[in-house]
Amino acid sequence: MSEVVLSTQDLTKHFVGKTTLIGKLRGKRPLSIPAVDGVSIEIVAGSTVGLVGESGCGKSTLGRTLVGLYTATGGSLVLFDRQMGVKRTLEERRMVQMIFQDPFASLNPRMKVGDMLKEILLFHKLVTKENVDARCAELMTLVGLPLNALQSYPRQFSGGQRQRIGIARALALEPKILIADEAVSALDVSVQASIVNLLLDLKRDLGLTMLFISHNIAIVRQVSDRIAVMYLGRIVEEGLTEDVFSNPQHPYTKLLLSSVPKMTPGSKLGEAPQGELPSMQSKFVGCRFRSRCPISTVACETTDPQLLDIGGQNHMVACINL
Amino acid sequence: MSTPLLSVRDLHVEIHTPRGLLKAIRGISLDIDSGDSIGIVGESGSGKSITLKAILGLLPKNARVTSGEIYIEGVSLDSLSASKRSELLSEKIGIVFQDAIAALNPVMTVGHQIAEVPRRRLGWSKEKSHQRAIELMELVGIPEAEHRFTVYPHQLSGGLRQRVAIAIALSGNPQLIFCDEPTTALDVTIQAQVLRLLMDLREKEKTGIAFVTHDLAVVNEICESIHVMYAGRFVESGGVQESFARPIHPYTYSLLKSAPDMEHQVERLFSISGEAPDLTKTVAGCPFAPRCFAATDICRTSEPGLQSIGSSSSACHHASTFMQSLPRSEAARNGAGL
Repeated sequence: MSEVVLSTQDLTKHFVGKTTLIGKLRGKRPLSIPAVDGVSIEIVAGSTVGLVGESGCGKSTLGRTLVGLYTATGGSLVLFDRQMGVKRTLEERRMVQMIFQDPFASLNPRMKVGDMLKEILLFHKLVTKENVDARCAELMTLVGLPLNALQSYPRQFSGGQRQRIGIARALALEPKILIADEAVSALDVSVQASIVNLLLDLKRDLGLTMLFISHNIAIVRQVSDRIAVMYLGRIVEEGLTEDVFSNPQHPYTKLLLSSVPKMTPGSKLGEAPQGELPSMQSKFVGCRFRSRCPISTVACETTDPQLLDIGGQNHMVACINL
Repeated sequence: MSTPLLSVRDLHVEIHTPRGLLKAIRGISLDIDSGDSIGIVGESGSGKSITLKAILGLLPKNARVTSGEIYIEGVSLDSLSASKRSELLSEKIGIVFQDAIAALNPVMTVGHQIAEVPRRRLGWSKEKSHQRAIELMELVGIPEAEHRFTVYPHQLSGGLRQRVAIAIALSGNPQLIFCDEPTTALDVTIQAQVLRLLMDLREKEKTGIAFVTHDLAVVNEICESIHVMYAGRFVESGGVQESFARPIHPYTYSLLKSAPDMEHQVERLFSISGEAPDLTKTVAGCPFAPRCFAATDICRTSEPGLQSIGSSSSACHHASTFMQSLPRSEAARNGAGL
């Protein structure tokens, strides 16, 4: 059994709104949005876990909570046998790094690529001042960019190249875990493929563990060993990618997979699924998916389904009607 | 042969940019009839959206059509006055954009926006156009249409907003709908609903659909014919089934291979090296040659025109033989699949 490098137990992240002074005096509770509401996952060293779901289901919030950009409101998060507190040490911060969707927005437009990398490397005292240039050059080679890229500004690059810079920045800290949040969603298909291939190569060569967050289910299928399906702040199904794709169990997973257009010649658009993702609310009673579920029963209105291993094959599903 | 609903002949569009004159469209010909569903695919910057905008006369100020003819039911748009032209276009063609929130007026109720076209264009009374708007909202699957008539765009979800945009496009009873990446910003489940709606319209009302997208799987599922666009030209045109099963241009082949497939997992995604050419510069030879696995000397010196091959056409010097130039490893992996 391989080592578990990241595990969460009932992790929650609730965003709490503001109330007016009058509201406070009247004892009105502020609006609370449970973006991540009780997620327990384990990621094994060297594996890639794909996280899919519709927009607004909380997948990015989960990713950001794991990196430490958000502070969890409840539950526990363990990285390499270390319980993550509210404040992380430099070393703990370095262990998990993130690649963002929009390389335009996540790179400082007024900083040369080289300066940006140097700043990170020196702040974290990863190399000495004498060696910093050599390390920057090494990073450029690693992500397949020419060395003169170090002297350029982000705007001088195309979308795909900018995403490579984003990857170099994440790798500069020698992380153990990489969280790719929609890292290829903004790119053209042809460029998308080369970035995905780069990520997979790096993962293999550097022995990284990866959480790949995307709404693009076809891409997730290509890169992941395991896949987790998220709905309204909860994981509803989790298992080996092959198992989940060939034998989806949860009605939501089935709905999601059947909605994806296929590349097979002659494949025709099927019947459209009904309903939309309801808005997050502070209190859910019963199963969250029941408003769109074709197989919901009376029991679903009251029972909150737990993520259980149904067939003993390490394929977890949260549905009481299976 | 009858006159097609829309016919475009050798359209050229240039855009003035700070970097110089950009030849965005370099000779495009296209026929669409009612009931047709065509897909136009290509990478960003290949000129897909500009093509639709040029036909509709919606080009930005710095762009202009330099040559080419557009006919609607055989009538050349050039022969009409500006007001007659926009009247004819808005009567025959509706358009749905990618970003519904940007396309809708934020300070006008959605019902009012849908009713506006019948009222202004067709001169209907307030009550009659109100009634028509409700009908359209029901047609595009907006629940509680009566109530939703009075809401503002920001109060609706992304899927509902796109339905409102489609209802507006339909409000003038067009025979053709242009769709410019209408589902790119939507979740797959909502995308499936919107695509289903468009397909139902095509079947019931015989509305023609021109679908611009970079998502090949969407084209595969909803279109009958496909035009693959590269550097301002069509490089392959043909039936969707034929092109997906046996592409006759290396670019089409590369695009198909680089698109991740839901149904099969591959070891490694095929990727197209390099980038699309800068169209402010003159391209010598085939614009795809620098990225092409089958390029030879002739490709670097002369640009191939669109040649008919069976019922399809391809702009490649090696249209029938390029598959033999595939890297051996790639060819072996494909097996009989392609």
